[in-house]
Amino acid sequence: MEMTDNKKNAQAAAANQTGAGAGGFRQAQAWLHTWCGLWFSWLLFAVFLTGTLAVFEESITHWMTPEHHAEEAAQAQAPKGADLTQRLAWGLSYMAREHQGAEMWELWPADAQGGGRLTAYWFDGQREYAMQRLDNATGQPVDLPPSTVRQTLGGHHFVEFHHELHAGSWGLWIVGFATMAMLVALVSGIITHRRIFKDFFTFRSRKGQRSWLDAHNATGVLTLPFLFMIAFTGIVISGITFMPAPKISQYGLGEQAQQQFLRELDNPYLQQRSGEPLAVPDLEPFARKGQELMGQAVRAVVIYQPGESSARIGIYGWNSDAQATQRLSATSGMVMFSAATGEVLRVRLPGEVDGGVSSQAQSVMSGLHMVKFGGWAMKWLYFVCGLAGSALMATGSILFMVKRRSKHQGEFGAATARVYRLIEGLNVAAIAGLGVACIGYLWANRLVPVGIAHRDDWELAVFFGLWLLTLAHAQWVSPTVAWRQQLAALAALCLLLPLLSWLTMGKHLPAYMAEGDWESAGVELFCLASGLASVWALRGGRLGRKTTADKESRPACATQPADQAEAEVAA
Amino acid sequence: MNALYASFWALALSFAGMAALAFAMDRHYEQLTGRYELPAAQRWMLRCVGTVALAAAVFPCVAAWGATVGAVAWLGWISLAALAVVGLISAAPRWAAGLAWAALLAGAPAFIWGA
Repeated sequence: MEMTDNKKNAQAAAANQTGAGAGGFRQAQAWLHTWCGLWFSWLLFAVFLTGTLAVFEESITHWMTPEHHAEEAAQAQAPKGADLTQRLAWGLSYMAREHQGAEMWELWPADAQGGGRLTAYWFDGQREYAMQRLDNATGQPVDLPPSTVRQTLGGHHFVEFHHELHAGSWGLWIVGFATMAMLVALVSGIITHRRIFKDFFTFRSRKGQRSWLDAHNATGVLTLPFLFMIAFTGIVISGITFMPAPKISQYGLGEQAQQQFLRELDNPYLQQRSGEPLAVPDLEPFARKGQELMGQAVRAVVIYQPGESSARIGIYGWNSDAQATQRLSATSGMVMFSAATGEVLRVRLPGEVDGGVSSQAQSVMSGLHMVKFGGWAMKWLYFVCGLAGSALMATGSILFMVKRRSKHQGEFGAATARVYRLIEGLNVAAIAGLGVACIGYLWANRLVPVGIAHRDDWELAVFFGLWLLTLAHAQWVSPTVAWRQQLAALAALCLLLPLLSWLTMGKHLPAYMAEGDWESAGVELFCLASGLASVWALRGGRLGRKTTADKESRPACATQPADQAEAEVAA
Repeated sequence: MNALYASFWALALSFAGMAALAFAMDRHYEQLTGRYELPAAQRWMLRCVGTVALAAAVFPCVAAWGATVGAVAWLGWISLAALAVVGLISAAPRWAAGLAWAALLAGAPAFIWGA
């Protein structure tokens, strides 16, 4: 569209103003994108990066619990133990003998092949989940030997941090708000970005501000389907928490109401307790029939209200690998029986859920978010897209400062210089500092002595402690030095991790690879790759400073300082 | 279809497709050839090849993962391929073009398989 000079001038003037109302629609969106993006970018980067790592939760846990490796190998070699009938009988008699009063018994008789462990679970007096392992060849309770296995949260730390920042429901709400802000930033970013299709494949390297903008645009535009999906499904998973009005109108407020709601949602087949005693019948016929009806091997047998005539027996199935590959909804099959009459109350086929279409939709959405489907290939796709999304947030917040290093915009009046300084420091700590904290968490796993009390808390303390230190460091020294030193620390910690693991565990990276333990090898290889990326970022910074050092003596940033390239986005 | 083969084919086809769409644009055509203007016939052909290759990438995905997961996988692979194309064209446009040809040839069996 042709624009008259007057219009251009008016737009340029509007773009220089700050405020939501200034300029036209696109300017307003640019303003929204800049500030909404900036204030949430640090938190969003942390949530996104830890969520990305959480894709490989099991692999990280595997690496962090090296004592388990021998145990797993021994288990694979172990004799198969008793058959399903015998296992169920043992489990039932143990529960009837020891936990008569519990309101729920849950037996996990065997793995999908009929071997493996036999475990009983129940709710104890404090309504906490409790468990007891039973010997699969004798049925006797086995007390786990005093643990030689390091106590650790493993990869689950990243999951917990990702969805509630280790801060319970407060954290969940904070992450929820940040996710809404991310959706706002995505939409306003699309409106602001005038040349989505013209610049679709464009990345101009070594051009300072222009390069940062290109990188920000490319990572955002090219992974847009993923970004929308992951933010939207992230909110839907906790939809009942974020939008409690329908639940409250039906069930009311308070702990009692919440429990009733969950009970009816999870298990609509329960009745009021009858109070009439009835011993739990032999479980084997239920298990056989359940297997037949849902077409899966028995994973768990759950007895609700055991010992009463109102008892229900639920048979739950194992999902096979093939089923998990092709189905978004990760639920397994289930068959619910009345214990008294043996009547089949419900057959839920694998992938189905109770509670109608909306529950099914929610199950698919949470499946989509947590990538429980499709195997390793899908995990890697999510991982790479997650890294690209993290890069989107990092480049966005860096771009904000790169732009203002070359041209002070005075948004904060007299305090502008101080606020800029604060933002620079937050950028360093949120991006490089979080990296240091994450890799430091893995170092802590090898260095914190095995067997000390609250060992898992110590590992977490290292994570949060290191992160706080990087924040203090970034505010203490100049931003250039902070970027350089923290990236150097990140590079060193990443590159030396395999060495540390070798020294402390006696097993090196090539040995993992030779054994075919690609989960452990993968963790260390990714650390090496991250280390190399940090070295590259460090060197990039030096190059950037050399080429522009003669231009003027403005404070340089660790990576390339802004050159004279004009910006596409008015921010 | 084995997930490994499917991944390879889907990535190859989406990479070839995204690269063809990129080189159908003046800016990237110039990066590759040094010539400023791309002949209209060639642009049309590149766009056709690109669109068909991207569409064909859906076949190995659906074959390996079924229709629902396959659709998610397809979106994932074309996103990944686009990121790779952007990075490679910026660093070495000639390599990007060569690799796109190789990817198109490598992905050809999936065309046949899909048809």
